[in-house]
Amino acid sequence: MKAALLHYGRLLLSSLLLFIAVLTVLFLLLEIAPGDPIDALIGDYPVSEEYRAQITAAYGLDKSVWERYILYLANVFQGNLGQSFGSSQTVVELIGSRIWNTLALALPAFLISTFGGLLLGAIAARTRSRFLDGGLSGLSVALFSLPNFWLGILLIMLFAVTLGWLPTQGKAPYGQEGIYIQYLILPVVTMATSELAYKARIMRSSMIESLGQDFVDTARSKGLSRRTVLWRHAMPNALLPMITVSGYSLGFSLAGSVIVEKVFGWPGMGLLLLDAIMRKNNQLVLGVVIVITLTVIVVNILTDIAYGIADPRLRARFSGKGGAA
Amino acid sequence: MSTSGPDRDPILDTARAALEAPPTGLAVTRPGGAKRESLWRHFFERPSTWIYLGILAVIAFVSFVGPFFAGDPVALGNPKLLEPSLEYPLGTDQLGRDYLPRILQGGQVSLLVGFTVAILCMTLGIIIGGLAGFFGGFADTALVKVAEFFQVLPGLVLALVTAALFGANVVIIIIILSVTMWPAVARIVRAEAMRIGQLGYVESARASGFTSLRILWSDVLPNAMPPVIVATTMTVGRAILIESSLSYIGIGDSNRPSWGALLNDAQGYLANGWWLALFPGLCIFVVVLAINMLGDSLNDALNPSIGKVK
Repeated sequence: MKAALLHYGRLLLSSLLLFIAVLTVLFLLLEIAPGDPIDALIGDYPVSEEYRAQITAAYGLDKSVWERYILYLANVFQGNLGQSFGSSQTVVELIGSRIWNTLALALPAFLISTFGGLLLGAIAARTRSRFLDGGLSGLSVALFSLPNFWLGILLIMLFAVTLGWLPTQGKAPYGQEGIYIQYLILPVVTMATSELAYKARIMRSSMIESLGQDFVDTARSKGLSRRTVLWRHAMPNALLPMITVSGYSLGFSLAGSVIVEKVFGWPGMGLLLLDAIMRKNNQLVLGVVIVITLTVIVVNILTDIAYGIADPRLRARFSGKGGAA
Repeated sequence: MSTSGPDRDPILDTARAALEAPPTGLAVTRPGGAKRESLWRHFFERPSTWIYLGILAVIAFVSFVGPFFAGDPVALGNPKLLEPSLEYPLGTDQLGRDYLPRILQGGQVSLLVGFTVAILCMTLGIIIGGLAGFFGGFADTALVKVAEFFQVLPGLVLALVTAALFGANVVIIIIILSVTMWPAVARIVRAEAMRIGQLGYVESARASGFTSLRILWSDVLPNAMPPVIVATTMTVGRAILIESSLSYIGIGDSNRPSWGALLNDAQGYLANGWWLALFPGLCIFVVVLAINMLGDSLNDALNPSIGKVK
């Protein structure tokens, strides 16, 4: 138990340091970026020196770099990401209004790609049929090489423009609130497809490895059916790499949601980020990036915990029975 | 990644290697010195290798030489939104520009970014990964931390921030992609250097009194190359994909539109200009596919034990 506490304590500490490192890099980038933030705030309008000094002080820009850095870190840890430039809303409010839309895309895509990948990968590894296995390998390389925004565009061309079955853009009919299912289909499919191919491939190779282990032979020689051996014995072992891959790939799929949201005009965090970039709203850009980073770090911690629960060897190590920690 | 316990778990390491250099599993067994040559021959004897290399060579050739013959990519005055025909093989765009020279010009940007980033990543990866893996200690810890850093701040996101703050052009994009993508190569070099450093012939080189750097350079790194070459090949494809994603969402050099930027323009004309969206995407797909297939085939040839599991 002590080993487990030590392990997770260390994990939390290093995650915290990682988060501070990301914040520091973002702060430095903002510092060395060209352009005077005061000029950007005031605009071209001629103002008195007094007013200028007042604005500078109001935004804390008269303080030293170190003071500002500490203040910035303190604000972020208090959940204050600042005021969105040229808007009455805070950055946190703006992100809060969009984050659910992004999750409405990312979560179904995550579930489809994970379970689809598991199933396809396991079947390909089990049958090792030339047709299925070769087809799956070929398909996964192809999907892996496919720019997913182009896939989205092709889907729009086929299902929305040509066939007229599904809408092209947005999350609901004009003037309607909420999310309509027919608006959700194409973006979710686009997002899930490339992930699915990749996960199927990982699952296939880890399943092949798992099927080659001695305990599988043992299970077979006990007279268990092939199905039982596959799903009850080989599968749990093959799942371990999948847990890691699914968890750690979430960061990339969050980044990928920026692209998918752009293709389908989906009003999530990604589109918010792109708008902020186009309007040079740096405070909002940093805010969204901080939220993405934080999500990835939290998911990584959860992945690590899930792994510790799923892997009996680690469990044994934590309970002090499995040798050196 | 951020843990000490599972860090030593071989299964997890395989998964990580696979995650960072998809889609091939890169747990490569090193071929012996004498065998290395025959493995390369094995690679070049495959007809498929020549098909992929041929596709890439043709696309590179027409992208860089074609524009001298295909006409002006920005000349207006042709009929607008014309379907592909004999006169305009790839049609014309919404402003009446011939689409063929525009596609060719777009290829220059994509290929330039892809190959430059891969070469930079390979160089950085070999130097830093080699030092970290062979000497361990601080360099090793630092490399692991940096790799973790870019895992939570993905290249695409960092590129977006940097582009927002500094503007975007080809050089900035090459720098950002190299900075975010080199740890993937470095980690593979690191793992190989660690493994090879334990082998008998390195031990005997040490006993013969060679300096560590000399051993690293002439005994360790050459034998670490096969998986590095595979990873570098894959990096070309991934860099092209990220670059086209960036230029698709409007972050790129507006004077030299790459294939991604052409797709951005094309999205406004899906109903009456299907060719505008079809051709640039097809180009990206074919190039990246050829590169990834080449990488797969390299992996099979340089690493015969994988892919032929019982």
